[in-house]
This record gives sequence, C-alpha cells and structure tokens, in this order.
Amino acid sequence: MSGVIAVRGLVKRFGSVLAVDDLDFEVEGGTVTGFLGPNGAGKTTTLRALLGLVMPTSGTATVFGRPYTALRDPSRRIGAALEASGFHPGRRAIDHLRVAALAAGIPEARAAAALTEVGMEPAAERRVGGFSLGLRQRLALAGALLGQPEVLVLDEPANGLDPEGIHWMRGFLRAYADQGGTVLISSHVLSEVAQTVDHVVIVAGGRLVASSTLAALTDRTTGGAVRMRSEQAGPLRDALVSRGVSASLVDTDSVVVTGAGAREVGRMVAEIGVPVFEMTTDGSNLEDIFLELTAAGPGTE
Amino acid sequence: MIPLIRAEVLKLRTTRVFLGLCGATVLFTVLGVVAGVLSAGSSGSPELGTAASVRNIFGSGGPAALFALVLGILSVTGELRHGTITQTFLVTPRRTRVVAAKLAAMLVAGTALGVLAAVVATAVAWPWLAAKDVSVSLLSADVGPVLAAVVVGAALFGVIGVGVGALIRNQIAAVVAALVWEFVLEAILIGVVPAVGKWLPGGAARGLTRETLSSGNLLPAWGAGLVLLAYGLAFAVAGSQLLVRRDVT
Repeated sequence: MSGVIAVRGLVKRFGSVLAVDDLDFEVEGGTVTGFLGPNGAGKTTTLRALLGLVMPTSGTATVFGRPYTALRDPSRRIGAALEASGFHPGRRAIDHLRVAALAAGIPEARAAAALTEVGMEPAAERRVGGFSLGLRQRLALAGALLGQPEVLVLDEPANGLDPEGIHWMRGFLRAYADQGGTVLISSHVLSEVAQTVDHVVIVAGGRLVASSTLAALTDRTTGGAVRMRSEQAGPLRDALVSRGVSASLVDTDSVVVTGAGAREVGRMVAEIGVPVFEMTTDGSNLEDIFLELTAAGPGTE
Repeated sequence: MIPLIRAEVLKLRTTRVFLGLCGATVLFTVLGVVAGVLSAGSSGSPELGTAASVRNIFGSGGPAALFALVLGILSVTGELRHGTITQTFLVTPRRTRVVAAKLAAMLVAGTALGVLAAVVATAVAWPWLAAKDVSVSLLSADVGPVLAAVVVGAALFGVIGVGVGALIRNQIAAVVAALVWEFVLEAILIGVVPAVGKWLPGGAARGLTRETLSSGNLLPAWGAGLVLLAYGLAFAVAGSQLLVRRDVT
C-alpha cells in the first residue's frame, strides 16, 4: 500500500498569516515518516487539516485516498495524538478513553487495554489535572491507539518526555512500524526522531524544503565543508578546483572544500591520486543539515 | 447515534461539574421549600394550604432549570476551553452529529436535574406540610403538573444551554451572559414592553410552572413548553452552524 497519506497543494491561511503554503508530500504505508520543521513552520496546521479539524484554504489532504471526514469508523483506521492539553482536568484517565471508545463504537475494554499499552495503568483512576506533561503525552497516545488503527499521526509526542520516556517512545514506534503500521510523527528536533524514522518531510515557513529518505538526507552536506589534510595540499587544491568544486588552502597542509559532499570529494580525491591523511566533514551532521534547510526556507508573510 | 449520545452523557457524568450542579439543585430546592413554607400567609404570600401556596412550594425545584442551563453551556464551552473538542471531532468528524448528541444528552441530564429537584421538593414539603396538618394529595392538580413543569423546564433549559454555549463559545462569557439575561435584561425588557414578557425564556419558564407570584399574563403550559423548545432549537441551529464551520486549532 503506498500513499496512505497524501497532501497535495495544501494552502491554509489564517487571516493575514499564511500558515501552510502549497505543501505537497506523501507518506507510504508501513513507513515511519518524520514531519520536521521549526516551531511555526505549519506542521500542526497541516496535521489538523489532514484530520478534518481545519478546513484548507485550497488543496487537499487525504488519508486512504479520501478526506478524513469521509472515512467510515475513522478511529479504527487512523489514530491521532495532537496535543497534550486536550483533556478535561477533572476527568479520570480511564474515563477520558471510555468516552472516546463509546463514541467511536469501540469495545469499552479497549480503554484499559490502551492504557496498559502505553504503560500507565497505575494512573488510570487518577484525574488528568494532576498529570505531568509526560503522562498527558502517554494518555494522548493511548487515545490514538484505542481503535487499533493501522496509521498513527502524532504531533510532537516527545515534547515533555524525560529521556527514559523518549527511549520508550522510540521503542514503541519501532515495534508499531515492525507490525506494519504507518506513522507520521512531527517534531521540531530532528535528533529526537532520527533514530526512529525512515523518511523525513521537512517544512519551513509553511513550505516543503525536503522530502526524502533519512539516508538520502544524511548524504547531503549542503553548504557544509569537507576538510582534508595532505602533504601535497597545494596540488590537491588545484586538482579539485579544476574539477569544478570550490576548494581553498587554509594551511600549508590543509584544504577545505565547500559545495560538495564528502562522498563526492572522496571519489575525486581517489581519482586525483593524492594521499590524504585526514578527512573530516564540518557541518554535515543531520542536525546542521536540518537547521540549514529550515533556515533557508522562505519566511512567513 | 445512540452510542454518541451515551458518550456525551458519560462526559457529563465523569467530571465533578455535574455532581456540583446536582448539589446546587438540591440546596436551592430545599431553600425554596423552606422559604415557601415559612413565608406563607405573610407579606402578601398565599396562606398555607391554599392552591396557590401548594403550587409555589411544590414548584421550588424551579432553579433546576438554571443549573441545567449552566450544564448545557459547559457541555460545549468546556470542550472548547480544555481542547477536548479535538478528540470529539476526531472520533466523530461529522460535527452536526456531535451537536445533536449533545442536545439529546442535555435533554437527559436536564431531565435528571429536574426529577432530582421535584423529588427533593416533594420529600421535604409533603411530610412537613403534613406535620403542620396541611394535607396535600400528591395527585392533586396543584402538585403533579407543577412537578412535571419543573422537570420539563430543566430539560428544555439544558437544551437551550447547548445552543448558547455553541454561540458564545467562551465559557465565562456564556455563563455570565445567560445569568445577566435571566436576572437583569429580561426584567428590564418586560418593564419596557410588558407584552413580550410571556414570550421570553424566563416568562415561558414561569408559564410552564404557573408561578402565581409573577405578574402579567402567561402562556398556557403547553405553549410555554413549545416556546422554550423553539428557543433551544434556534440557538442550537445557530450555534452548530458556527461550530461546524470553525477551524479547531
């Protein structure tokens, strides 16, 4: 199954603010896709449009090829955890889930089962008002799992989790994906989800700036620098420049190349045949690529 | 639709708001009976044992309508305030169904508050009056219809509350607006244009209970009930229009 989630030409304007600007991406079935971007990039608005909570100004966002609002039994097909604050503080955790189960036509026993799945049955009888952010996140996830859906949409689920909680969440999502589940998970911190996701969709200022596999993103060193040390630094620099990359001598034995990835530079060096005794990449780790991509994105109006 | 209504009723039952309003209903009903019995015969109030006095005392559960109104308002504004509306609309994306379920649930919850008030009023008034050697038949035309009016009034005001909440959306503003209307604006309006009194929500409520202390002419009970139902549906339709179109962010 491919294209479980499809966002096409999505535009959402709130008054004078263009929150989402002509966004296109797809989420393949059976993958974990990270939906990344800085705060205010339009992630939450996109997810809410996908789930029928926000009406697009134009464009479409569909699940299983149709709008969420046209799904029969949506809770059994796609589970969503959108924000940690959507609870009545005076309602007990188990009751919060019982209400949703009842309305969705899901057996009430699933409420307790879902709490167990997220490891919070000790808190079942407690009122949500006293919960930590981490517990609220778990309860939101339990709500998403109620209908045992094949797709999960999670908005910043790691927010407020302690390191142990984040570790748990990673394991949970991996296990879910291994059983064939599809996950779209938003975050403003790439490193938070880098160990979990196969694909990334990166947005900034409401626009798409990258959509690829995580592996392909790792290969990119856009704007980063490759630093090499060689006893023949001068000739190496000249040979690289003649191959059309920007290289400069920063020390008698040190060359810095910009505008080309480490993979590409390494290949060139092998062709040139000059011995190199050190090669490092600057600014080419995932977080830097992420920051660079999102900073380069167009700003909001 | 039935599971959806049950879910809405469960929502009402699982916070302490409903219990609190039940408590308030009991308290105000008991106070009403006490005031009705103690003040009978003095300062223009009808003598104990007269039909008018019996109606006033057994109609002491009237405030149940007010608390049902508040509960109806909170059933909508509470969801907006706490953000639970997100889950509600995720589970039931067709929003008019949510509004319809809330109306039905408040009809149930309002009836419950009304029955509670009617039972409490009877349980306090009947033995007390008997102890004062005022025998009242619970089958009398001055008791049954008045108790029924308390129940119907609470149910209908619960329905009105849903619409008011959906229209005003802000919890505090909606409750304050409803109370100010009930206790201030309607009285002023009646003062200016007395003829409209019986058609306003408060006037219709008095028409329902045949409260004798109120001045001016009242609609017959069935007419008053229809007027209240019309208010409830009008507010609900207007409010759900807003709710259905609004982005939930």
